[in-house]
Amino acid sequence: MSAISDDDIQAFADRQLPADRRAAVEQALAADPALAARVRDIERQNAWLRDGLDTLLAEPSPQRLVDAARMPHRPIRAWQWLAASSVAAIATLVLGFGGGWYWRDAQLEIAGMPTTFARQAAFTHALYASDVNRPVEMWAPEEKRLVTWLSKRLDYPLHAPDLNSVGYSLVGGRLVAGNERPTALFMYENGAKQRLTLQARKQPPGTEETAFRYAVEDGIGVYYWIDDRCAYALSGQLDKAQLLAIGRLVYAQLNTPETPK
Amino acid sequence: MLTAVNGALVPPAKARVAGPPTMSVDAPLPHPDLVAAIPRLRRYARVLTGDSARADDLVQETLARGWEKRRLWAAGTDLRAWLFTIMHNVFVNQRALAARDAQNVSLDGDGEGGAAWQVPVRAPQQAHVELQEVLRELSRLPAEQREVLVLAAVEEMRYEEIAEVLSIPVGTVMSRLSRARAKLRRSMASESDPVTPLKIVR
Repeated sequence: MSAISDDDIQAFADRQLPADRRAAVEQALAADPALAARVRDIERQNAWLRDGLDTLLAEPSPQRLVDAARMPHRPIRAWQWLAASSVAAIATLVLGFGGGWYWRDAQLEIAGMPTTFARQAAFTHALYASDVNRPVEMWAPEEKRLVTWLSKRLDYPLHAPDLNSVGYSLVGGRLVAGNERPTALFMYENGAKQRLTLQARKQPPGTEETAFRYAVEDGIGVYYWIDDRCAYALSGQLDKAQLLAIGRLVYAQLNTPETPK
Repeated sequence: MLTAVNGALVPPAKARVAGPPTMSVDAPLPHPDLVAAIPRLRRYARVLTGDSARADDLVQETLARGWEKRRLWAAGTDLRAWLFTIMHNVFVNQRALAARDAQNVSLDGDGEGGAAWQVPVRAPQQAHVELQEVLRELSRLPAEQREVLVLAAVEEMRYEEIAEVLSIPVGTVMSRLSRARAKLRRSMASESDPVTPLKIVR
């Protein structure tokens, strides 16, 4: 019988234990009263926390929060929103002429590969690239562990491309929430403290490959493409040509078997 | 599997695929129902800040950002997790700013939560006695542990989802959860002893 870990005990009590572990844990619980007591302890604690905190859910929501949930309070934001909407309307008109790709977008969306991938990549880039102190969860000196962790979470073997030849060195990386699936983020920085992020997400099976695509979201350029197994987005406040050049370098490295270090 | 227990918060699945292709780029997406999410946001904010006025400020900021970013929310996915992620980031940023203002405040230390926490001394109603007890016990945990404990035990989120909300590895979720539980257990055990406050523990 495999050893029962603390994680197993917690997952069992939280009803999150994978089915294939359950039998082993149940067996161990039956044999060991101390283990069984720990499970009961956690279950009691959970119930106590829920009972106590559930009373908060009954409180009526203050009007100011209801207002905030319906429309932002700050007038400037309403104005920005209007401006963004008219830009969007124009973009829709312009894109109407782009026919083919546009249709592809719709197809991708139906296939579960959201068109918002670029937008989300830009948003994520903006969120973390502007963070001076903690842009990444794990730093470059721990690259090996970082890559192992992210590969495990994505269930896909990743590696961090080497962009030193174009002046960008790896800062580190983190896991971010994607559309229904985890996304790996690698961040790079050049001498001028300009940051680039490469985000990778395993794609659902059956999605079509795409060529390089370019989008600008809130002033952030995003090059993105989908190969047979992963969707990638390279984001940064660079011009299109620079970003494309780096994008091709990343693409080339991702498609070359990694040289042993 | 997302925690779909709280039906009100889980948006109608995949409403957007029904639209014609012209919907796909920037047309109105189905609005996430932010209003329905308020009670859970307030509860989580209360746990994070420990103070109902500060909690509501945090919720307001979260809703404002959620509104701004509503196009980034993927219809059909767990709105609660998405909003908790926003709230967590706002909270962490606010804490970092506060720490910068008062330079000697530690971000990670065990004693971090204590000073800012205000749990009303008098429980206004009988029904709230339990709540006050829970809040008092939680106030003794560092914010990092409070977060994982409440997301796992009360929101019943999957560990993987918690890891995404907090941008930490699942292993970290598990170890924080374990520490939070052990600490809470000790704290509750000593609580049940009526003379605890006066006893000198060796």
